[in-house]
Order: sequence, then structure tokens, then C-alpha cells
Amino acid sequence: MNEKTPYWNPYLETLPREQIQMLQVKKFRRIVRWAYERSRFHRSLYEAAGITPDDIRTHEDVRRVPKVEKSMMLPIQRKDPFPYGDALCVPLEEVTEFRQTSGTTGQPVYQPDTWQDWEWWADCWATLLWAQGYRPSTRVFIPFGYNVFVAYWAGHYACEKIGCETIPGGVLDTKARLLKMQELKATAMMATPTYVLGMADTAVNKLGLNPAVDLDIRRITCAGEPGALIPATKKRMEQAWNAKVFDHAGATEIGAWSFECDAQPGALHVNEAMFLAEIEDLDTGEIITEPGRRGKLIITALDRIAQPCIRFDSKDIIEWSDEQCECGRTLRLIPGGVVGRSDDITKVKGVLLAPSAIEDVVRSIAGFGDEYEVVVDKRGDVDDILLKVELSEDAASSREDLNAKLQTELRVKTNLGYRIEIHDFGSLPRYEVKAKRFKDLRKKGS
Amino acid sequence: MNTMVASDSLTQFRSMVEELGKLAQQVYTESEDFPAINRNAKRILASVTMLQINLEDWS
Repeated sequence: MNEKTPYWNPYLETLPREQIQMLQVKKFRRIVRWAYERSRFHRSLYEAAGITPDDIRTHEDVRRVPKVEKSMMLPIQRKDPFPYGDALCVPLEEVTEFRQTSGTTGQPVYQPDTWQDWEWWADCWATLLWAQGYRPSTRVFIPFGYNVFVAYWAGHYACEKIGCETIPGGVLDTKARLLKMQELKATAMMATPTYVLGMADTAVNKLGLNPAVDLDIRRITCAGEPGALIPATKKRMEQAWNAKVFDHAGATEIGAWSFECDAQPGALHVNEAMFLAEIEDLDTGEIITEPGRRGKLIITALDRIAQPCIRFDSKDIIEWSDEQCECGRTLRLIPGGVVGRSDDITKVKGVLLAPSAIEDVVRSIAGFGDEYEVVVDKRGDVDDILLKVELSEDAASSREDLNAKLQTELRVKTNLGYRIEIHDFGSLPRYEVKAKRFKDLRKKGS
Repeated sequence: MNTMVASDSLTQFRSMVEELGKLAQQVYTESEDFPAINRNAKRILASVTMLQINLEDWS
């Protein structure tokens, strides 16, 4: 096999735009028909909207199909056919994989997959890993606690599909994982940005290792958080490991729907051969087609059959770009990747605040560590933002100077003022998987 | 702009995958009492579907 081929699928990844769109409509109609004919949940949804699969002929028709929100899945699950309920579109004996969402926004959603779905999951991941330079000669270490959550499972199977040597770093602790990576001379790994930085911290402070020199990791694929496309965070990770760091976005209910390619354009490609992505205006619900306007991702997995994902309200905030990537793919770009969640992006003092903008500022200032926490609350009738940051181990500037610089940069980048608390190195919480750094106490349950 | 794969190649691949699918389906159908054959054939059918997805005609 020719390892120099830049695309996993040279046909679909370079298909002219018009043909991609025709393929999407064809596949969309097919998956809607599949769900309509097999699931009471979907049929009743479509009947209530007065739409049948035959009504879908163009991209505009796609918008007539009702959206599905996570909250709609909960009442039907844990019922017959147990535990998936009425959205299941295959006989129960065809289900070979169980995963569930993390439940961070409520009760977890259960997700069934068939062998065919699992092939598809791995293929979507293989597309992104190949684009990031993974080849059969790559030795991949996966420092992930394999469990009921889908994260990195599909990455593991995609590595096998590509032919990489794949090392499951399962229940090892961080120090053991680092030592195993060093011993085996692993050349790539996958983790959340939080854990990539945490591992580097452990290597330096607990093992006396410099990952950039003492380990052979040269490619890192991130997921779960937006950090790998936040310039300051990406830079910190790349410097700490002397590796190229790549982002991708996916979700249990959806699949791995977008990826950063080896050209690192500061954006993610949407895998439009496998997914139909739409962007919806947060206020009006209008579908945004032009570049540069942020909205909420509504997404369809075009080939996933056990529990179809059709016009799913992902709550991810993205925008289109009209730029062409130098990699040659015709798959559209979303600059900055997933820049936030519609349930995280919130109005504070009348200004839209995205936590990723705060992260970019904090991590761009030398003297601050990687950890931070944002707490939005009311002080009387006025919104208040408390930002807790940590000094880096080798901070040279005074707290007063750092505070002034941080206030200025935050004001410029976010148009908001903050109460800032500067803590000693090591005093803020550390996270192993997804960090919970943004708390809006004005919302019930935060 | 055209895709990077010649349409002749795509047509040929699609035809071969179709034959593969027919064979795998036949093995699967005729092996109900032979789990080691039946289950492996079923997995091949899942891979065949993935091949079809990877080669699907846009028109």
C-alpha cells in the first residue's frame, strides 16, 4: 500500500462540492426512510410534521425534517426493546456495541451500534487519523480509561483498521502510562487537551522527564474539549511534547464528524461524505449558509443505522469558512473548530461570553499555568465573573503585573471585566478527562 | 474540478464489491448451523457495506 497517499478516501474527500451535496441529499433521504419505516419514535415525529421520506428532494427540504434534542431521547429509553426503546431501528440481536453519553448535562443517553455501525465509526476515525499522518508504521498509545463512554474506543479500532500498532493504556495511572510510552517508543497518542498538559506536568514534576526530549510522541490527536484549536493551548501542548497537535470533534450520538488535517489550517474539515452539517442561528432558528456567522450545529449521521442521528441538535457552536484548505480536500472548513456550546456560551452583562476566549487569553500569558476556573454569578442584580488562575512554576513577573496584563487582554478579547484571583501553582483542581472549568451559578443546577 | 479517482476505477471497484457481497451473503445464508462460518460471514457483510459506503455514487 502507498503510505504517501494523503487521503483515506481519495474519492469522497475530493468530490466536487455540487456532487457532495447531491450525495448528502441522497443519503439523507435514505436514512430518514430507514428510520421512518423502523422506529415508532421517528415515524410519529415525521407524521406530526407532515413529512415523508419521498418529500426530501433538495437541501432545502432537509430543513423541513424535525430536529431531535437529547432531552427527547430520555423518555423513550430504558423501555422495550430494553434499554433503547422506540428509536432502535434494528432487531436487538443485531446490536453488538453499547456506549452511553457522559451524562454531564443530565441522564445519560444509551447508544446502540451494530457491527456495520462500528465499521463506520472506525472508518470515520480512520479518515481523520490518516489526514493527521497516522500510517501502518505509527505506534499509537491510547492513555484512556476504556469504559462505557465511546471516547477513543473508535480511535482504537481506527488505528487497527489503518494498521497502526495500537497500545491500550487502559487502567494504568499517568506515571505508568508515561513510562510505558517511553519504553515502547510510542510515536502518537490521543487524549483531551487537559490530559495532554496534565501528562506533561506529571512527566516533568513527578518523573523528571521532558516529554519533548525523552519521549518519541510526535503526533497527538485531541478530542472532548476545544483546546487543540485554541492557539495558546495548542502552542503549549506542541512545545511541551515537541509534537504536532491535532483537533477533532465528535460525540456519542453523532460520530466523529470533523477533523483537523496535517496542513493545520486552524480549522476543522467537516466529513461531509458521512455527515450533513447545518448551522442554525441561535436567536432566529434560520439556517446559516454564509461564512463568518456563528450558530448551533444541527447534524445528521448519514450512514448510522441502529439508532439513527437525524438532525440532532448538538449544541456545538461553529461557523462556516469559504476558504479552501491547502490539503486539497473539498470538505468545508469550520474555523476554530467547535468554539463553544450553546449551553455554555452565555450573555454576561449583555455581552456574549465564550469560555474558549478566556482560555486563549490565560494560556497566552507567560507566568500563568494551564489551570483556570470561571464562575459567573449575580452580585445583587449585577452579573459578576470570577476568574481563578494559577501561577506557573517558573513565573517571573509579579502578581500585580500579571493581574494587570490579564485584565487588559481579557477586556480587549472579551469586552468584559473580571474579578481575578491568582493562586499558587498546584492549587486549582486537575482533571484527567474533560475539565469542568466554567460554572454559571445563575443557572439552576450548575 | 474532478475527484482524484478515475471513474473507471470506481466502476470496477463497485463491481468487485458487489460480487464480494453476493458471495458473503451466500456463505452467511447457508451457514445457520455453523456459527464459526456464520458469524465471520456476518462480519464480512458489515465490511462489505463499509466498502459500498466508501464507493457510493453521488448521483
